[in-house]
Amino acid sequence: MIFSGLPAGVRDILPEECAALDEIKRRLSRKFLMNGFEPVESATLEYFDTYSRISNAVPEERMFKLSDKDGKLLVLRPDATLAISRIAATKLTAPKARLSYFTRKYDLQEAGGVSSREIYQAGVECLGEEGAFADAQTIAFAVECLKETGLEDFVVEVGHVGYFKGLLEDCGLTEEEAESVRAHVNAKDSLSAQRLLEHAGVKKSALNAVLALPALFGGAEIFDRAEAITENATAREAIARLREIHTHLSHMGYEKYVCYDLGTVRRLAYYSGVVFSGLVREMGAPVMSGGRYDFLADDFGKHVPAVGFAMGLKRILVALERQGNLPAPAPVSVAVACEQGAEAVGYQAVMQAVKEGKRAVLLSDYGQEALKTVRAAEKYLATEEGLKKI
Amino acid sequence: MIYFAMSKGRLVEKSAALLEKCGVDVSVLREDTRKLVLTSADQKYGFFLVKPADVPVYVESGVADLGIAGKDTLLEEGRDLYELLDLGFGKCRLCLAGYPTRKSALTSPHLRVATKYINTAKRIFSERGEEVELIKLNGSVELAPVTGLADVIFDVVETGSTLKANGLVVLEEVITGVSARLVANKVSLKLKSAEILPLVEKISEAIS
Repeated sequence: MIFSGLPAGVRDILPEECAALDEIKRRLSRKFLMNGFEPVESATLEYFDTYSRISNAVPEERMFKLSDKDGKLLVLRPDATLAISRIAATKLTAPKARLSYFTRKYDLQEAGGVSSREIYQAGVECLGEEGAFADAQTIAFAVECLKETGLEDFVVEVGHVGYFKGLLEDCGLTEEEAESVRAHVNAKDSLSAQRLLEHAGVKKSALNAVLALPALFGGAEIFDRAEAITENATAREAIARLREIHTHLSHMGYEKYVCYDLGTVRRLAYYSGVVFSGLVREMGAPVMSGGRYDFLADDFGKHVPAVGFAMGLKRILVALERQGNLPAPAPVSVAVACEQGAEAVGYQAVMQAVKEGKRAVLLSDYGQEALKTVRAAEKYLATEEGLKKI
Repeated sequence: MIYFAMSKGRLVEKSAALLEKCGVDVSVLREDTRKLVLTSADQKYGFFLVKPADVPVYVESGVADLGIAGKDTLLEEGRDLYELLDLGFGKCRLCLAGYPTRKSALTSPHLRVATKYINTAKRIFSERGEEVELIKLNGSVELAPVTGLADVIFDVVETGSTLKANGLVVLEEVITGVSARLVANKVSLKLKSAEILPLVEKISEAIS
């Protein structure tokens, strides 16, 4: 038996889907370039230590490992943003940079369901940029990019990890307890959060604030509610920042694309400010995810505040197909078949058509018969006398 | 339309009764049919009847917007979804159970644990730093200690009558407060909030 299977969680992308994927990449790559982003590519292979010794260590069980000739442990790129942070901290000299990338990241664990182990991503990072307008501009650009892919009816949900961090400050929990509370709040599981907080003896006002989190989502009207339930300075700063971002987004005309959720609390060590994700009804999981991560590069030796986002290209393709908007490649417009002895005539005709910007194909079968099986706007038969339109 | 994933079996009748109280037309759930997708007469709700363990899968993927599943299943599946309400029914505990005294065996120094909840058991024993041998079973778990396949079982205990009838006892209540939960897809809750939130509100009132 021929051994030709693939491991779990990875797959081949066959011509039709690949054409759609390429088209989306083409649209996005042009979008990135036109908006002043410069493309980068990080290496696929990196040292295990790069990602295991930082404060935002990628969990060991999620990294694909290989060993180098000298026995050093290598990993397949486990995170696009961390890789860019490493580049920013160690290789870029300018204090600011706007970078874009098309990459694949690898996750040993994810398999099945909505995730795979080889994840196609397109994203941007605005390095060295601080302030609410940088946040707002990045969110607005994320909207533009999602539109560029052809997606319709999507929403960008915006939150801020500072709000939750602030509420936690008032709770006096251990790091472990805090992480459990975060997971419960992120799952909108108030009951488990309540049990844990009560068990830890957290005071009533702080407890009620954390318990209100799962319901704090909606339009900009939630800011008032969010402010009313806490006196904590960090939490209030977060809301002030969100208000600023909201004002910018409204002025820029993006209000209708955004909603807010303070109960979406992703890994706290990674994100330092605003967080956002792109949601489409046709897909049960975010198609885009981003935020501010000001301290990621610190572990690589340089402080580089940054905000950015990544789009899951595979999920976008699925959503596009469900919306009936999957891009199809340009059809072949010129087909040429040759008679025996007229190969050069046919070849020249195809070269000429391509030069004129037409998608053209020289058939491998000979004679007029061959043209019957292909679909093309123009068909030619190359004969020794010259080109004959069919 | 809101799509519901419901577990076939012990939770379905109670779930239907609760939804009915909240104004959901659940009559299709009571029809004797082999159809897999059931749609309410007013076209507002679609129901998928699936195995309990599959409810979180349908909800995480967004195929179903809402689901009703036991906390035991949610813990075991570990899916990324919103757990909105404790519905209060289907109460049970996840317990270690076995004979009151363990027969030690020289050839198997590890505790042999039979369970349907293999992920939960793995997590709990690794948190405790205990090395055990886990044996995955799909039902009638109590048979394992009786036949000597395992030393103990890790399973849900509702009344304890099956245990008692076989001379087994609860050795430890590991996770208490297991009950049916209302879960939601993370994207649906935001993008269909106009349909979903009022229903969640009604359910919340109905159970309090």
